[in-house]
Amino acid sequence: MSNHNDFEKTSPWGLFLQQLIVPALAVVTALVLGAIIMWATGNDPLVAYRGLLDGAFLKKRALSETLVATTPYIFLGLAVAFGFKCGLFNIGAEGQFYIGQLAAVWVGYNVHGLPAILHLTLALGAAIVAGAIWSGIPGYLRAKLGSHEVINTIMMNYIAIYLADYLVGLSGPMRDPASSAPQTPAVDASAQLPRLSELPALMASPVTRFTAALLVAVFAFIVVRWWWQQRGNSLRGWRNPWVVGLISAGGLGLITYVFLSSLNRIGGPFTDRADRLHLGFFLAILVAVLVWWILEKTTLGFEVRTVGASPEAAEYAGISIVRNFVLAMAISGGLAGLAGGVEVLGLERNVKSFFSAGYGFDSIAVALLANNNPLGIIPAGFLFGALRNGADLMELRAGVSKQIILVVQALVLMFIAAPVIIRKLYRIRAIREEGVQLTRGWG
Amino acid sequence: MTKPPALEARGITKAFPGVLANDHVDLRLAQGEIHALLGENGAGKTTLMNILYGLYQQDEGQVFIGGQEVDIHSPNEAIAHGIGMVHQHFMLIPVMTVAENIMLGVEPRTARSRWLGFIGQLDYRRVESRVRELSSQHSLEVDPTALVQTLSVGAQQRVEIMKALYRQARILILDEPTAVLTPQESEELFQIMRSLAERGTSIIFITHKLKEVFAVADRITVMRNGQVVGSTTPEQATEQQLASMMVGREVLLRLSKAPAHPKEAVLSLENLSVNDDRGQKAVREVTLRVRAGEILGIAGVQGNGQTELVEALTGLRPIALGQVRIGEKTLKETSPRQIMEQGVGHIPEDRQKRGLVLRYSVEDNLVLCTYYQRPFAKGLIIQHEAIEENARRLIEEFDIRTPSARTPAGTLSGGNQQKVIVARELSRPIKLLIAAQPTRGLDVGSIEFLHRRLIEQRDAGYAVLLVSAELDEILALSDRIAVMYKGEIIDTLPAEQATREEIGLLMAGVGGHKTSPARQPVEVN
Ligand SMILES: Nc1ncnc2c1ncn2[C@@H]1O[C@H](COP(=O)(O)OP(=O)(O)OP(=O)(O)O)[C@@H](O)[C@H]1O
Ligand SMILES: [Mg+2]
Repeated sequence: MSNHNDFEKTSPWGLFLQQLIVPALAVVTALVLGAIIMWATGNDPLVAYRGLLDGAFLKKRALSETLVATTPYIFLGLAVAFGFKCGLFNIGAEGQFYIGQLAAVWVGYNVHGLPAILHLTLALGAAIVAGAIWSGIPGYLRAKLGSHEVINTIMMNYIAIYLADYLVGLSGPMRDPASSAPQTPAVDASAQLPRLSELPALMASPVTRFTAALLVAVFAFIVVRWWWQQRGNSLRGWRNPWVVGLISAGGLGLITYVFLSSLNRIGGPFTDRADRLHLGFFLAILVAVLVWWILEKTTLGFEVRTVGASPEAAEYAGISIVRNFVLAMAISGGLAGLAGGVEVLGLERNVKSFFSAGYGFDSIAVALLANNNPLGIIPAGFLFGALRNGADLMELRAGVSKQIILVVQALVLMFIAAPVIIRKLYRIRAIREEGVQLTRGWG
Repeated sequence: MTKPPALEARGITKAFPGVLANDHVDLRLAQGEIHALLGENGAGKTTLMNILYGLYQQDEGQVFIGGQEVDIHSPNEAIAHGIGMVHQHFMLIPVMTVAENIMLGVEPRTARSRWLGFIGQLDYRRVESRVRELSSQHSLEVDPTALVQTLSVGAQQRVEIMKALYRQARILILDEPTAVLTPQESEELFQIMRSLAERGTSIIFITHKLKEVFAVADRITVMRNGQVVGSTTPEQATEQQLASMMVGREVLLRLSKAPAHPKEAVLSLENLSVNDDRGQKAVREVTLRVRAGEILGIAGVQGNGQTELVEALTGLRPIALGQVRIGEKTLKETSPRQIMEQGVGHIPEDRQKRGLVLRYSVEDNLVLCTYYQRPFAKGLIIQHEAIEENARRLIEEFDIRTPSARTPAGTLSGGNQQKVIVARELSRPIKLLIAAQPTRGLDVGSIEFLHRRLIEQRDAGYAVLLVSAELDEILALSDRIAVMYKGEIIDTLPAEQATREEIGLLMAGVGGHKTSPARQPVEVN
């Protein structure tokens, strides 16, 4: 027992890895337990997991479909995590996801004649705003009247789901009269979020390629310059943030241009015509980084986190609890709405009746698995995407019900919620063993 | 042949990331002894107690109880070995009765229930009668049927002690039990401690108040920097000696200060009334003025409206009636932030709930009220370097003992947490400081430092409103003393004319200009 290991300074990387240990072991343990359950019910876990693996990654187009499923998980996981950071439990991500889809599709097929970049932005913006309003209502009720957001977001879920069924359903106002199925019309081409497989055709003209490269360059410049400034590098010579920003912007812009120009020649894994992976996935990763940045590096994030960590201290420090409750809830719903918009514009291109997907509820688990860390949401979302996508082939190959995946997910959650089990099982010490035991009282 | 000590710790060593909290600590607690444990903030007292109580594991060293070596891995095991601990922050459940709280975890069941195994019926009567029995045995006044939330702080503490006794504790650990007690309540606690010791219970008593050590202790051990620096008895030691032993330098226990030169009023209250949480008047028509360059002390037994008064002045509680002016500005539905930006600093009474975000790092807590201002933020974007630099400076200036600026504030020792708040509030540009119990939990060295700072601030033209339950502190610092009783300021006197006795009487509601509550409320427009 006697060691002074914790005396040594842990490097940031070491700390980062330590944070990963429990979630990783939780996943492994859950898979092992899942195998035992399958074995006990007379199935062959090896065949089943081989099927899961093939279905999620190895089979043709499996990886691209996994990433397709990962995309909403990332957005929605971020939505739930943002609420958690402010001490709010947004169970309404599912409903906000629906509302975001409806708003995006409406703008997508009703507005015509805009250039693609504007139309797309408008449609995604509508999804964000609609989601934000949908969650802002429970946020406001919580902040002003103290009525609990869990109840109200659940209620808003029902309203959203049945509203969608009405709007899109057989006699609904958003139903496409030209189609026999209850679904909306498809969005205009200008509102479609491109799939990778569509990019070569879209980027055929050098002007579009140049515009795209320019956008990437400007974005890269802003990010790199800021980052370089944060690191506090000297302002002289080539280490000047402006210089570094310009160099990386130029480089990335060039790479983008060349890449786009040679797209049809590379082919590659995701550009097959049947591949459905769309730009939404990359947007999701960018948004995850953005959310991390907002939470950690801005005063807005500081306020949200402070309210979540200690409302009393926040009040003392002059941070408005009402404002932050509404704001955090609206941002949370905005992210969920964006998930819906991306799903519609990138993948489905219209909204069908009874499109319930359950992503919104799973995403609570995604956020928990990631310990509400926006960057952790990316791998957590990927895991859930893989499980969801691989489950079908697993069922087919091994004859085990794909519900077993739900069991595995539930076990993962259980281990995350009670990390003591994992720690005891693998005899690992907590990051700071007694760090959790904060000093109490005056002692 | 001597009896083995009730408890002995040998060579206890415990490291936390970046600190050696206990460094080969030896402690001998004799049977039936009251053993005072002294030491500066962060010396490692609480850590040692937490090890004895099984909350932490030592890295090295042994613990002996009655001469037998024991391994204590959890509070349950500590209890099984007869060790009870009263944490400063009580661990009681407010909505339950005293008896229910006491039996939590060791619930007795009625005889019939044995048939049903674990679904037994709770045997309240047995608990209640046992509590009454212990009550009279140790002259420990507790009503087993009372709801905990209706009890005073002192009474809750008695419940905590009763909880330990009910579990047959032979060794009792009290970590700064008097920090939140009134002088009378402390005196009652000492009575109880003496009577327990006479019946053979051994007590470890942690405190920062040297007078208390001389009042109750049989033996004294002093810690500094994780080590035991000495052990003595009250007969052999003086306050001055103990103080310098604790902090390793000479400490002035009495500060001298020049007379105040008060100028214009910075804070004025006109017939201010404030309601408490239940909507009852907690502050009644208080009229007060605090001027630049003076320290106004509010004396009073806790719970006489001081908390509500301070909360109203800082925007945390609505004003029911009357007027508050800070500088030129009248407060009316003013938010805490607006008040802060008027130049008001606030050291809150409840440092763990209000004053700090325990999970945040020390450096973030040091900018808790200014994070949005330059240089800590430019626009929306937080400037981490400025925050780091600020922390570096304040940690040095205020001697905050922390392994690093990134350490969570919640892991700091109690006194060092308080220093973080004091440093934050005094480093802001303020003209009025409202300090509620600012030295609670601080060691003598830090109290000296803080008092010196307050007097310096006063001389630099700040107005200071000091609310303290420590009569000594009020008398040492204030230029004028207002005594609060049942929500009213019953008298205000210049400090040089005030005597301990007179203020003590006023605090008990005897005398004063405003003895009758009959004064008509003044119409406010
Ligand atoms: N859970 C913890 N994690 C990390 N460090 C800790 C923890 N608990 C205590 N420490 C550190 O150990 C040292 C000793 O703290 P401790 O609480 O024992 O002091 P103390 O003597 O009780 O001081 P005070 O008089 O201020 O209450 C401090 O430097 C503190 O920061
Ligand atoms: Mg302590």
